[in-house]
This record gives sequence, structure tokens and C-alpha cells, in this order.
Amino acid sequence: MNALLLLAAATYSAAAVAFLVHLTGRGPNRPYLRFGVWLLGAGAALHATQIVVSSLVLDICPIKGIHFALSVVSVLACVAYLVMRAKFRIDAVGVIVAPLALTFLVGSAAAHADASGVGSLKSAVLPVHVLANLVGEALFVLAFAAAVGYLIADKQLKKKHVGGVVARLPPLDALDRAEHAFLLAGFPMLTVGIITGAFWAERVESGSAVDVARSLFGYATWALFAAVLLLRAGRGWRGKRAAYGTIAGFAFAVVVLVIYLVRSFGEPHA
Amino acid sequence: MIVVVGLSHRTAPVEVRERFAGEAGAVEIMLGKLRGRAELDEVMFLSTCNRVEVVARPKGNADADRARALKAVREVLAEHGAVSEADLKPVLYEKEGEEAVRHVYRVTSSLDSMVLGEPQILGQVKDAYDAAVAAGTLRSFLARCVHRAFSVAKRVRSETALGAGTVSISSVAVELSKRVFGELNDRVVLLVGAGEMAEAAAKSLGKGAREIRVCNRSFERAATLAQRFGGAAAPLSALEAELATADVVVTSTASQTFVVTRPLVKRVMRARRGRALLFVDIAVPRNVEPDVHRIDNVYVFDIDDLEQQVATGQDARRAEATAAEKIVEQEVLQFLAWARGLDVQPAILALRAKTRGVLVAEVERTLQGRLKHLTEGDRAALMQLVDSATNKLLHAPTTRLRRAAGDGDGQTLAATLQELFELPTMHEVDESDEEKDDAPDDDERAVQ
Repeated sequence: MNALLLLAAATYSAAAVAFLVHLTGRGPNRPYLRFGVWLLGAGAALHATQIVVSSLVLDICPIKGIHFALSVVSVLACVAYLVMRAKFRIDAVGVIVAPLALTFLVGSAAAHADASGVGSLKSAVLPVHVLANLVGEALFVLAFAAAVGYLIADKQLKKKHVGGVVARLPPLDALDRAEHAFLLAGFPMLTVGIITGAFWAERVESGSAVDVARSLFGYATWALFAAVLLLRAGRGWRGKRAAYGTIAGFAFAVVVLVIYLVRSFGEPHA
Repeated sequence: MIVVVGLSHRTAPVEVRERFAGEAGAVEIMLGKLRGRAELDEVMFLSTCNRVEVVARPKGNADADRARALKAVREVLAEHGAVSEADLKPVLYEKEGEEAVRHVYRVTSSLDSMVLGEPQILGQVKDAYDAAVAAGTLRSFLARCVHRAFSVAKRVRSETALGAGTVSISSVAVELSKRVFGELNDRVVLLVGAGEMAEAAAKSLGKGAREIRVCNRSFERAATLAQRFGGAAAPLSALEAELATADVVVTSTASQTFVVTRPLVKRVMRARRGRALLFVDIAVPRNVEPDVHRIDNVYVFDIDDLEQQVATGQDARRAEATAAEKIVEQEVLQFLAWARGLDVQPAILALRAKTRGVLVAEVERTLQGRLKHLTEGDRAALMQLVDSATNKLLHAPTTRLRRAAGDGDGQTLAATLQELFELPTMHEVDESDEEKDDAPDDDERAVQ
């Protein structure tokens, strides 16, 4: 079980290195990009296997608790990247997706496997809430990766650097379109998550400072992403402004996950 | 060994080179003329916009043979360019032996090209090779040399980054567009100005674009240029509306003031709802106000920026050229070693013939005497024994002789062999034997 997790972590790391070599190396190094994509796929497959095996061994539903939630986000983000990379021609943003997948995996390993974070209430709303949040989070990972790629490429072009990293990143317009598409797809998920979460909070949460902070950051994430989408549609806020908005929204979403993670440390071990 | 005679962008200005720019069928005509020259054994004719040259193998290896071959090529080239030999000589380069092989390898690998590392030259040499094969002017020696040149070019491409980066204003403009928009097939290219530079930009950028639009002070000129590229024209007064729909804008007007200003682009970007806009300003003085580059999602590259990219590409390629030259040197040495091996081939053949001849004569004498009762089968077995003994006996000296030839000592050893065994000299050996032996080896066939 741990071996699978270690193997997945090693594969994600190798993928990140391959992507990095592609972006920063000299000479014709396109094979590293393909290699990175393959490694990321292999890492996601290993990680998914680990989730299934672990949840069977511990007899815990894989969408229950922050431990598995982080792992599932990581795998979903990788799968979404692998599926959508050709459509948006954003292969090189794997350089951001791979380390993020690794970070989520490490975060997942750090959390207790039985940490609930979502309470123990049996309800039909629970799977909807968790699944919507996980899928949304995975899509925001990709939107964030595209936004970071956009800012790097934009900065290089504004400095009038045409070769090097910018030559190996996807075109600026492709990054902008991908970021918008992932945000657009993730936002309804987040909305469902927020609505079901509000219902949930009313019934089970203690009203502690941590719960309040988590809810606030959740709402702030939703508000930020909503603003990014609305301003793009209404005022033509594209490119850099949209990228900064997306990064800020993702940062808020990560804060919510970190709150879950920190809270899991205070709970009893299985 | 081979010789090369030609002229290129390094030795002849374009006014001279264009005299040699052939029409359709000129290569075949040239090959026909060269084939008719008794001084030349094998020949290939290469003609590009920057280079016209003949690669040939003289008939005979003596210095006088090479001199005659060079003169023959000069005469044919002078006739081809309709210039006198005396006028042609100052712009010609002539290379022989090792230098000629190195030249062929360097040309094919794009180390001698005007734009270092450009990929077209390999295809052009291949075309020249195919034409020579079709005309029947190539045989094993020169064919092998050119084949090795193809392999060298491939090694240079795969083992160095000589072909990486962009190196002309047009290609930089296309690359810039790709950095911002990716493929141009769903993009609109707007040319502001309808001069020669706009036309050149349209040729490179217009190929992949969805639509080309031309905006010019003189509407007639705009319409003429737009028509040539299947696009639409607009007067300069409609510039703001045109900018609102364009993606890549190439400016090249002769205006002494900025045609595209920051306030104009600010208004345009509002109309575009923030969609990215790329300006490629190739005009001097500049047409686009530099501050426009500071607007979000707007990118401006002027002629200096473009030339800097060209220079960067060339610098990077120059650095890679050193590694490429090393590859060329290795390959030249290998080819020379193989070619020198051919020099001792007559001695090897003569030694084998003499050894086998002596053994066969002795066996046949015995077969007519004491062993005349032997059957045909036994006689054939004895002859096989003779062949086997010849091979085993001469294996070591043959190998050493070839190795010595590769090291440059082959002639001395061959002469010693001829002296010791009273072998016929090189000229006395049947040339057909030599041809039989210097057929393309496995390596060469693999390249084919």
C-alpha cells in the first residue's frame, strides 16, 4: 500500500523533472515532453490503484475524509489533464500539474486515513457535496496551471524574449482559453459544492472558528471565480487579469483544503 | 579522389549568381554536357539560389588528371553562365581531395549556407543526387561520398541544435504569431501598408492565415496587394475598425509619425473585449507607438526586436556549428580512410591473383601427372582447397595493408609488395576488378 504510494510519488516526481527538462533544456528535447506525459499517466494510474486498495483495506469510502479527498483530486486533475491536453494543446503545463499532483499526494499521506472532516452523518447530500467539490477542485488545478503558464509566457513576451521557455510553453491564447474552459467547467461543480455545503454546515458543524474560516474561504473562492468569469464575459477581462483572478481563487480553495488537513491532525488515528 | 568547382554567396554577388540560375531542365542539360567530357569519370551538379557547383571525380588519380578535370568543369560552367573563363575564375572556388570531401559534407549539413542550419539545402543536394543518378553520371565512389554527406547532415541535425531557432525577419514574425496564437488558420492578418515589405510578410504570414486584409493610404495599392493574396482591402481611415477584427498586424508604411497610437489601441482593445493583439512593426521609422506594448494582451515587436531574434538565432546556431564541424571532421577522416583503402586495392588484387595463379598452376601440373586418376569431384575439391588456402594465407597481409592504407602508409606497403612479389603496377591491373570491389558496402546500402 505504502509502496504503491511511494511509487506514485516517485513517478509524479520523474514526470515533473521530465517536463522541466523539456522547458529549460537546450536542443531538440521534445521526447522529454512525451516522456513527462507518459510518466504523469503512470503516476495517476499507480495513485488510483493505491486509493482503491487502501479504501478496501481500511473499509472506507474513498470520497470520505480529507485523506482520500486530496488523493482523488490529484488523480482527477491528472486524468483531466491527460484527456484535455490534446484538445487545448497544453502539454507543457504538465510542468505545473505534476508537482501539484505530488503535493496533493504528500498532503493526503500526511492526513489520517479515517479523518472525517465531513462528519459521520449518513445523507444522500454527502456524496454529491464531496464529489462536486473534488471534480471542481481538480478542474481548478488545471485552470491554475494554465494561468501560471500564461503569466510566465506573457512576462517573457512583454520582455520580448521569444525563445527559451516561452517557445516551449503552449501559445498564450491556448493557455488563456484552457484556463477559461477549466474555470467554466469547475465553477458549476463548486456552486453545487457550496450549496450542499451550506446545507451540511447547518446540520452538523459546530460553529467553531475553524468551521467558520473554512466556510468563509469556501464562499470567497466561489465569489472570486464568479467575478473572474463575469468580468471576462462582461468587461473582457482576459489574459493577465483573468490569470491573477484564477490564481487567487485557487489559493483560496487550497486554504479550504489546508483547513481540512490541519483539522485532521487533531483527530484520533484509526 | 573528388574535385569541387563552383560559386556561392560567399564568392559571387547575386548579379553573377543569377546568371547561373537555371530554368526547368537546366540541371539535366548541364549533366549532359559534363558527361560528355572525357576528363570526368563521375559528376553531380548542384544548383540553388545561393550556390552553383559541380562535384566530380576525375578520370585518373594523377595531379595532371585533376588539373584537366578542373579545367573541363570551368569550361562547362563558363558556357552555362555565358561568361568567359577569365571573368568566371575570380568568383569560382576549386577544391580537391580531402578539402573537396569536407566541402560536400559542410554544404549538405548547411554549415556553408547563408542562413546557417537552414534545412532546405539537404533536400536540394538530394535532388542533385537523384538527377545525377537519373542521368547516369554517378558511380560507386562519388555516390558513396554523397551518401555519406546525407548521413553527416542527419547526424548534425540530430546531435546538435544547428537547425533550432528562427533566422529571418519573416520566420521570426511567423514564430511570434505562433507564440501568441498557435496556428494561424483561424486568425486574421492585417497588413498596414502595401509596399514590398508588406508583400514579403504576406507571403510568409498569409500562408496559414484564415484571412488577409490590407489597409493602406492608397486604396488602389491595398486592393492590388489584397487581390494577390485573396484578401480584402480597406482605406487607412478604416484602421480602427480593421484593428478591432485583426489578430496579427504587420505595419510597414512610410509614415514619419506613429500610425498606431496608444489611445487608438486602448479603444480598439475595449472593442475587442480584451482579445490578444500582436503588432509586427517592420517600418523605419516605426509605425506603432512603443507604449502600445504596455497595454495588457497587446504585444509589439519592432524591426530591432525582430533583428535581435534573428541574431539570437544565428548566434545560437554558430555555437552549435562548432559541434557540427567536429562531426564533419570525423566523417571526412572515415571517408578518406575508406578511399585510401581503394588505393591499395590493385596491389591486393594482384597479390591474390598471383598467389592463386601459382597454386592453381602447381595443382594442375600434378593433376596431369601423378594424380591424373582423380575424378572430377576430387579435382573440384582440390580447387576449393586452393581457394581456401589463398584466402587464409592472404587474410593477415590484406587486413594489415588496408589498415596501413587508412593510416596513410598504404602506398609504401603496396609498392613494397609489388617489388617483393613482382606484381604488376596499379595501372596494369584490370580496372574492372577494381570496380567490382569498390561496389557500395552494407553501410552505403543502408543509407540508400
